[in-house]
Amino acid sequence: MSEIRLEVKDISKHFGITKALVDVSFNILKGEIHALIGENGSGKSTLTNSLAGIYQKDSGTFILDGKEVNPQNQVDANNEGISIIVQELGTLDGLTVAENIFLGHEDAFVKFGIKNTNAMNRKATELLKQYGFERIKAADMIENYNFEDRKLVEIVKATYFKPKILVIDETTTALSGEGREELYKQMKRIKEEGNTVIFISHDLPEVLRMSDSITVLRDGIYIDTVKSSEIDEDGLKKLMVGREVSGKYYRADYDEEVSDEVVMKVENVSVPGIISDISFELHKGEILGFGGLSESGMHEVGKACFGASFDREGSVTFSDGTKINDIPTAIAHSIAYTSKDRDNESLVMNQSIRDNICLPSLNELSNKLRLLNDKKLKNFADKFAKTMSTKMQSVDQFVSNLSGGNKQKVVLARWIGKDSDILVLDSPTRGIDVKVKQDIYQLMDNMRKEGKSIIMISEELMELIGMCDRIIILKDGRINGELKRDRNMDENVLIAKMV
Amino acid sequence: MVSQATVKAEKYNGLKKQDTINMIRSALPIIGLVAVFIIFNILTKGNMWTSRKLILNQVYVVLISTVGVFFIMTMGGLDFSQGSILGIASIVVCKLSGVNMFLAVVGGVLAGAAIGAFNGFFYVNRKIKSFIVTICTMFLFRGFIKYMASNSPVAASMKVYDYDTTPVKLGITVAVIGISFVVFRFTKFGINLKAIGAGEKATKFAGVKTDKVKFLIYVLAGAITGLAAFVNIVKNGSATANAGNQLETQILIALVLGGMPISGGAKVRFENIIVGSLLYIVLNNGLIMMGLTTQAMQLIQGIIFLIFVAVFADRESLSVIK
Repeated sequence: MSEIRLEVKDISKHFGITKALVDVSFNILKGEIHALIGENGSGKSTLTNSLAGIYQKDSGTFILDGKEVNPQNQVDANNEGISIIVQELGTLDGLTVAENIFLGHEDAFVKFGIKNTNAMNRKATELLKQYGFERIKAADMIENYNFEDRKLVEIVKATYFKPKILVIDETTTALSGEGREELYKQMKRIKEEGNTVIFISHDLPEVLRMSDSITVLRDGIYIDTVKSSEIDEDGLKKLMVGREVSGKYYRADYDEEVSDEVVMKVENVSVPGIISDISFELHKGEILGFGGLSESGMHEVGKACFGASFDREGSVTFSDGTKINDIPTAIAHSIAYTSKDRDNESLVMNQSIRDNICLPSLNELSNKLRLLNDKKLKNFADKFAKTMSTKMQSVDQFVSNLSGGNKQKVVLARWIGKDSDILVLDSPTRGIDVKVKQDIYQLMDNMRKEGKSIIMISEELMELIGMCDRIIILKDGRINGELKRDRNMDENVLIAKMV
Repeated sequence: MVSQATVKAEKYNGLKKQDTINMIRSALPIIGLVAVFIIFNILTKGNMWTSRKLILNQVYVVLISTVGVFFIMTMGGLDFSQGSILGIASIVVCKLSGVNMFLAVVGGVLAGAAIGAFNGFFYVNRKIKSFIVTICTMFLFRGFIKYMASNSPVAASMKVYDYDTTPVKLGITVAVIGISFVVFRFTKFGINLKAIGAGEKATKFAGVKTDKVKFLIYVLAGAITGLAAFVNIVKNGSATANAGNQLETQILIALVLGGMPISGGAKVRFENIIVGSLLYIVLNNGLIMMGLTTQAMQLIQGIIFLIFVAVFADRESLSVIK
């Protein structure tokens, strides 16, 4: 058996009243890729963030190579040999690529209190070349690069000093195929050098493919550590959820005819610099999918249909001939939208579940004098939050305290309450665990059967293939192909059209 | 290893504890008001109680104009131009009071609304932060007031003194507060307002015409202060170059004393207005009756203000003042 690299001993951490981690203990070995999985809110990120000095744990110890470590911040952690690539953007605007790479370690380039910019840039250029990212220039400002490239810079930043432990928190979902391959390459390199990678991901096939062992957390409690070679996807799901997850995941039908009735017509829609000349028709009872790379412009298509795009050209027409040019008109014509940016665009975070659900339906809820009744609002919100089986104390609770999956349920409850006929769902299952995903797929299938139409924009190809009647693929802001529902369709057909 | 049931139970207890803390927090301004009132009555040997009418007389203007700023702050904005609005509207009321009293009221309200619209235009259409816009208009209209009233105060017609009665002043105040309360608590407008304060972008995506609401709020706040200007003139009979000076600070202090979170949003309560205005006036008069100098008073006010902000500031959302 190989040597132990990191001993996690009785780690606990709470945020206010929420216990995020309760006495978690397990071991991580040298030279392995160790995956950490669990549903939303199970404590994965809290654990790794405590290890990397981003949070301070409440109690317990981390023992790295036999020595206790207790980093107070990320630079501290780096010096101990721990580095992390976070889920969100981890690079800072206003600094150059080189300054970002060496953030917190500038001292190496400082002589007599003066920073030697040239030396720093030279070193950064050398590193970027080693990694094969020559197109990124060390002296450029970081904001000149897109999300993807900035993640690549973060990979360099986190790995150039050969850390003993590299934490990768949910990074692959932000990357396209090429970026992922690069990350996998670095993970393998670190493993071969005898160091350790802690890998957090929701993508179970990826976890099984990449990792050597897998630790499962549930509600902040340690469940089990298993060898990747000795378990399959269903086994992992069972450990994560705590019970058997039924086999039926996506919708099962294949040969149903979609109605000819057009409910929304999009003609020659362009948004300068993002999408150009997009035209399609949405039919009654249809689930129409949009796929592509995250930069392909597919997310803007959703906004355009909802009248939320800035500077849009072309037209979006509702079945009765109304042009949809702004959000209030869209909602009045029974169009709903859930954003990929759930916390900023879909939900009013510091607000009650009640108000979040009632917000678009206030006209319907007011009486003849245009007055609202507290009890009526509460019953309305309660009814639809419960329809979605949202986990909550009461509808007066603020949405900011809910987990990602429950937040999405509140968003959907709002539009079910509004009884919208056209739903534009952008990344509806992003960052959501298996069980809630299943609920959402079930809901979509039921809505389709009721004759509602759905536009589903997603980066997850499997769910597009599993759920949609038609899939439109976008590439560089233009439509690059359309595929009909087919039980034999596989991911590669879609990928070929995406890149 | 701890079972999940224990974790849930602890979570629940934690929530209850949080509730208690929140309850104490929300009761603090009322406790403060009662305490301050009792303390000053003891210190002034009951003098404060005997002169309650005089004290109440000072509450009206602050109380009315605080309502408008309460709306603005609920949606996350600020307004420093209230004092200048009161000054301009007071001059308009004086000038028109000779013609017709009804016209004077309408004129004051319209003048206030016009300045509010001016604020709203630059805030919403030109997308300038509200506190910058209103600091600019504060100076701009203060200039106008100085220009109009520096040589001699603008005097109102003697007829205004007919209206200097408690029923008129109290009536106007109660009406403004009553209507505003209903609008705030029981209409779409009120809920939209809170939602904008808690998260503007998401509110927009829920179909609320946020720009329109934001503009209207500034117009409304101006109009309400225009009405307060009428009460001000009824009380004083003329508008000096200093009319309404520092009203904006008084309003801000009153709201903060009343427990208003500076960043607005879902946690604001309508009681903030009434409790806060009363607390401010009682505090102010108490200190005067104690025979404190103006300098000492400002010092003490500053300290109290700081303590209240420290207690009530919602630090997580402080960065979103619009």
